[in-house]
Amino acid sequence: MAIPNFLYKNNRVLLKELTKTDFKLRYQNSVLGYLWALLRPLMMFAILYIVFAKLLRFGGDIPHYPVYLLTGTVLWSFFTECTMQGIRAIVQRGELLRKICFPKYIVVVSTTLTAVINLLINLVVVVIFALINGVTPSPTWLLVPLLILEIYAFALGISFLLGAINVKFRDITSIWEVLIQALFYAIPIIYPIAMIASAAPIAAKIILLNPIAQVIQDIRYCLITKETITIWNYVDNVFLQIIPFAIVFIVLIWGSWYFRKKSKRFAEEI
Amino acid sequence: MERDVVISVRNLYKSFRLPTERVSGLKQAIFNRLKGIKGYKEQKVLTGINLDIYRNEFIGIVGRNGSGKSTLLKTLAKIYFPEKGTIDINGNLVPFIELGVGFNPELTGRDNIYLNGALLGFSNKEMDAMYDDIVDFAELRPFMDQKLKNYSSGMQVRLAFSIAIRAKGDILLLDEVLAVGDAAFQKKCNNYFEEIKGKQTIILVTHSMENVRKFCTRAILIDNGKVSIDGSPEKVAKAYEKLWN
Repeated sequence: MAIPNFLYKNNRVLLKELTKTDFKLRYQNSVLGYLWALLRPLMMFAILYIVFAKLLRFGGDIPHYPVYLLTGTVLWSFFTECTMQGIRAIVQRGELLRKICFPKYIVVVSTTLTAVINLLINLVVVVIFALINGVTPSPTWLLVPLLILEIYAFALGISFLLGAINVKFRDITSIWEVLIQALFYAIPIIYPIAMIASAAPIAAKIILLNPIAQVIQDIRYCLITKETITIWNYVDNVFLQIIPFAIVFIVLIWGSWYFRKKSKRFAEEI
Repeated sequence: MERDVVISVRNLYKSFRLPTERVSGLKQAIFNRLKGIKGYKEQKVLTGINLDIYRNEFIGIVGRNGSGKSTLLKTLAKIYFPEKGTIDINGNLVPFIELGVGFNPELTGRDNIYLNGALLGFSNKEMDAMYDDIVDFAELRPFMDQKLKNYSSGMQVRLAFSIAIRAKGDILLLDEVLAVGDAAFQKKCNNYFEEIKGKQTIILVTHSMENVRKFCTRAILIDNGKVSIDGSPEKVAKAYEKLWN
């Protein structure tokens, strides 16, 4: 019971039970049930598609622009859902933490895993859309799971770090909500990064250093079209290319360390 | 005969930081930091507890409100970490600080049993072995596939209580919960405790001297964060009643 270890069997059981519960409860009492997990990003996609692709004509000469747009929104929804829920997880389960001793990180991991399950369901839709849209499957599709792992690691690191601070300072949730709104426009989700690249190449390069932008562009490259601008074909300095990975790594390690350090007082401070 | 020590507490200290003013905002925290205000007051709750608990003892912990009983129990349950001193626990400890913690009204009775078991650190296989026993004790078999929100409150506590006492832990921690439900079920609980008295290690925090006299094999009076009296249930119950006279 002493060491909170991911490999410890009973912790895995708890993780499984909590994730199952989270997922089951989220769509209970709704007529469409699990379908909402699919409908939400599809509706967001429909709105963005009408506004940006049809009215503002952002798509330009990007092949398969609708799928390209859908991929971006699905990944963005995942990142938002994952961090928002992850940051709140500890405070939401406060009652539990004050009554039973169990490894606290399990609460954060189980909550964020629910978002991962949603993402996987959504990616099935993306793939179906891609095939309908005439995208040909390629071996690079196999790289997508690794990229998802990267963005999940980033979201998990942020959840650990901000979730731990949120126990004492509840403002964190509001601050993050605002930050994430701003971040939405700093990442090429609705607009193609080529638009920025033609106007200000430096700005496009800076955008690509953001791990979320790097992952979204990489997944678009692997999944949809090789004409996507990625950090690999646009930023030519190897040291700059590893920056997004370094950010993910540092945030995850720092977040886990900070969470671990603070977690022994959670029961008292919540 | 040498008796097994299952819990050994040495020189245990615990204090809490109580916020003196609202500091759950960043602004306030920064102001306080700038003004050099600590923003909290140190509240000493446990001040040097020494305690040995032997196998199969039924221990009653009594004391006035705020004397540190529940803090001691929560520290034993590892919910709070000890500030100073050590706690050695030999065996699997199952805490019930409150009944039905982690119960979810939207889940079925069955799912709640497994979730609760997982929270207490039991694997699904271990829960499979205990499941029938728990359901039978609660007398709720026909309701296991119904959602908990459709249970009456009496049925909910019966289920929670049955998990608490039928979970196969070595040491059971109970905070003020002994008998729940209607008269018939309460009688069943009381009979159960009389039956297992001396067969399982149980630590009970309570205000009922009647229960202390009836069930406990040893009792401890906590006063001002220290063990004030440690002895027979009768002796401790008398001392406790004297606190008011």
